[in-house]
Amino acid sequence: MIRRRVRKGMLLAAVLTTVTFLAAGCSGTAESADGPADRTLNVWAGSQTPIAANFNPYAPTVLHGALGPVYETLFLYNKVGTGDPVPMLGDSFSWNEDGTVLTIKIREGVQWSDGEDFTVDDVIYSLTSEVAKSPQLVSAEATDDTTVEVTYDSPQFTNEVGILGSTWMLPEHIWAGKSVEEATTWANEAPVGTGPYTVDSVSEASYTLVANESYWQEGKPEVKKVRYLGIDANASAEDLLKSGDLDWTGMFVPDPEGIAAAGGPAGYVNTPQDPTVLYTCANAELGCKGPQTDVAVRQALNLAIDRGTINEKAFVGLAAPISPTFALLGRDDKWISADVEKESPQTGDPEAAAAILEEAGYTKDADGVYAKDGVKVELTLTSVEGWTDYNDAAKLIEEQVAAAGIKVTASTATWQEFSDSRQSGDFQLIMGGVVGTSVADPFQIYRDWFSGDYTQPVGKALEPGEWNFTRYSNPKVDAAVADAAAANDDETKLAAYAVIQDEITRDLPYIPMEINATQTFYNDADYTGWPTEEDLYAFPPSWGSVSAGYILANLKPVE
Amino acid sequence: MRYYLRRAAFYAITVWAAISLNFLIPRLMPGDPADIMLAKMARSGEVAPGVERTIRLLLGSDTDQTIWQQYVAYWGNLVRGDLGVSVTKFPTPVVELISAALPWSIGLLGLATIISFVVGIAAGAWIGWKRGTWVDHIIPGSTLLQSLPYFWVALLLVYGFAVVNPWFPRIGGFDVFTFDGPEATWAFVGSVAYHGILPALTVVLSSFGGWLLGMRNMMVSTLSEDYITTAEAKGLRRSRILLGYAVRNAALPSIAGFGISLAFVVTGAIVMEQVFTYPGLGKLMITAVQGNDFALMQGLFLVITLTVLAATFLMDIVYGFVDPRTRHNG
Repeated sequence: MIRRRVRKGMLLAAVLTTVTFLAAGCSGTAESADGPADRTLNVWAGSQTPIAANFNPYAPTVLHGALGPVYETLFLYNKVGTGDPVPMLGDSFSWNEDGTVLTIKIREGVQWSDGEDFTVDDVIYSLTSEVAKSPQLVSAEATDDTTVEVTYDSPQFTNEVGILGSTWMLPEHIWAGKSVEEATTWANEAPVGTGPYTVDSVSEASYTLVANESYWQEGKPEVKKVRYLGIDANASAEDLLKSGDLDWTGMFVPDPEGIAAAGGPAGYVNTPQDPTVLYTCANAELGCKGPQTDVAVRQALNLAIDRGTINEKAFVGLAAPISPTFALLGRDDKWISADVEKESPQTGDPEAAAAILEEAGYTKDADGVYAKDGVKVELTLTSVEGWTDYNDAAKLIEEQVAAAGIKVTASTATWQEFSDSRQSGDFQLIMGGVVGTSVADPFQIYRDWFSGDYTQPVGKALEPGEWNFTRYSNPKVDAAVADAAAANDDETKLAAYAVIQDEITRDLPYIPMEINATQTFYNDADYTGWPTEEDLYAFPPSWGSVSAGYILANLKPVE
Repeated sequence: MRYYLRRAAFYAITVWAAISLNFLIPRLMPGDPADIMLAKMARSGEVAPGVERTIRLLLGSDTDQTIWQQYVAYWGNLVRGDLGVSVTKFPTPVVELISAALPWSIGLLGLATIISFVVGIAAGAWIGWKRGTWVDHIIPGSTLLQSLPYFWVALLLVYGFAVVNPWFPRIGGFDVFTFDGPEATWAFVGSVAYHGILPALTVVLSSFGGWLLGMRNMMVSTLSEDYITTAEAKGLRRSRILLGYAVRNAALPSIAGFGISLAFVVTGAIVMEQVFTYPGLGKLMITAVQGNDFALMQGLFLVITLTVLAATFLMDIVYGFVDPRTRHNG
């Protein structure tokens, strides 16, 4: 009898707990009844929680909403197209003969979101402030109310995008008094910009932008409220995308068709941009060690790899073919020399690879691995732990090149180890990325990744801005890079690029693999005006800074 | 009284050691945070002019101070409640980040741990009391749940109740699509409770089995003690035997364990918070480790060690109160 009472009490407690939970649950599901016209556009640009308010474009932790939606640049360069730069705060620009003087005409009638006029002083401040100043800059002066003349100590044709397309225009009347330290550490929680949006509120889970009613493009933006969310895991973002909670995001989804099939937004575009390569520590003179310092080994690897299979199995068929010239196929075709292979082979050819090794004096030993002077062609291929596509690709390469008598061992390392080894040159092969160029011209890759001026001896870390991890150094390439840098006509550049391409497609310090997918998903049922496969007027992902602001300004809610 | 003084002195020394270790460990770790941050940013393309220099300014400058000077300065900052500035969430002070995350972790995990404890102990006592009957079959089921990893349970719950059947929200500590930030309304409180259900359920499901098993075993052995037989022989009421004699003694080891597990609440269920994008301390810890954010890491470890110590201290005192034997020397 007593026992039963105890049991009843416990049951009661359990029931009560459940009821409390359910009651709490019901009260939380208040749906907003807004129509599509005035509903908030939900964006994920890669932010993770907790979100810390920071709208300072100089800060490394700046939120995506500040770049593009709030602050703008002089021009918009479309990295997925070949057209002219789109005038934003700039109206037009011109170079002098040798590329040392840049004359910029600014747009008239633009106002900052605090009501002040946008003037040449703002442009001069933004280009010459201690923080953003280019080391080559000599002076920037206003010649009249709408013209700025910027002088450099060397030709700057190749830095055009950096100056006009990615230097943020900041209000001089607010920023001028700040010291370097203030300007870099200030959180700028209520930013004053010229862009289509201003900051409304920030919490640790999200931040909201509202339309800037005095935006210089009359009638824009039509989407009045944009919310940027913090989401910690890709899997969560994918779920939210499928349930229709996210309207715009740029993230990797292995099965893009599955998003729309599950009820998510139907808008999808893939704009492959950034090359995936094998870095090889290529230059024995600068201290690289291992069989890959022999160009024959690199050429053999290049031929033995079956890119088609790797793309299908490791990159779920979403990567695009790469050109060994590192010009982006489709966009930069006009820069590819006629004398070199346009596209890296999609199938592996182990026989041809073996032939190259034999010709270079390698002989097969008992294990079926080529060797020369008693040194076997045994290499370690490192990829970052947890980057599963790279890990899988490395495993596939290990199997594929074995057929050509090359022994590659795929291993993984932490991000930290990966970063340290490529910085210091202490590696044989690394599966890594190259940053694609922002304009239809591969020059930046040639200079930053291939030229001997942008590297350091093994054991010494690369300086900031140097990207030549392979330690590759070739006087012909360096001279051609210098020629191209000083040229503003296509013929001189083409001639210089032909030299570079000839050298790098033979020497292969970076063995080209493929171009990574860059996927963007967007809700085209409730909003129109997105960049599409047919009309790629701007780089589509939500994290695309200048282009992201431009796209937001062009969106229209469907009535 | 001497018992409490002795305990207090012991804990004071432990706190000092923990804080000093907390100072040392990050200084022994490899890697240059500036390089890492630059490399990570370069992965997403353009690093705007100016940003690079900022990163160097913030992270590149090593101080020329000796370790000893740094140690003294560290204590000074600590006393002032200054734990430095987070690098990954620059320029938010670490104290602000932690104090924003702490209520979520304590609220959710504290509650979930208490529920789990109460459910486990009550069920364990009941099963032990009715030993040898059908209720014994509950034990394998509960230990099975216990053996599943947190993140797995979390993913299953997400899949079952947030994706396939969207009854519960997928992410967040509150409805981010409705509220622009925490506010003092009943709707917001409801939203918080609603968003807490799946994460809390994860914790309860995967931890109550341990309490249950421990409690049930203690009950079984306690029930065979002579004093239980004596109590029964005296003709005491069954409920008094159960609660006053059996449960009170059988629960002692569990109470000690409870103190520890309550302390671990502040570390958050790291992976669980990641799965639900829940704004707690575990989530912060991942951020700190991934970004080599030493200031944040140090701050978190400090909070965690201090809480663990405080909780064990408290439990020591409670234990001395519940079980008078511990207060006396041998």
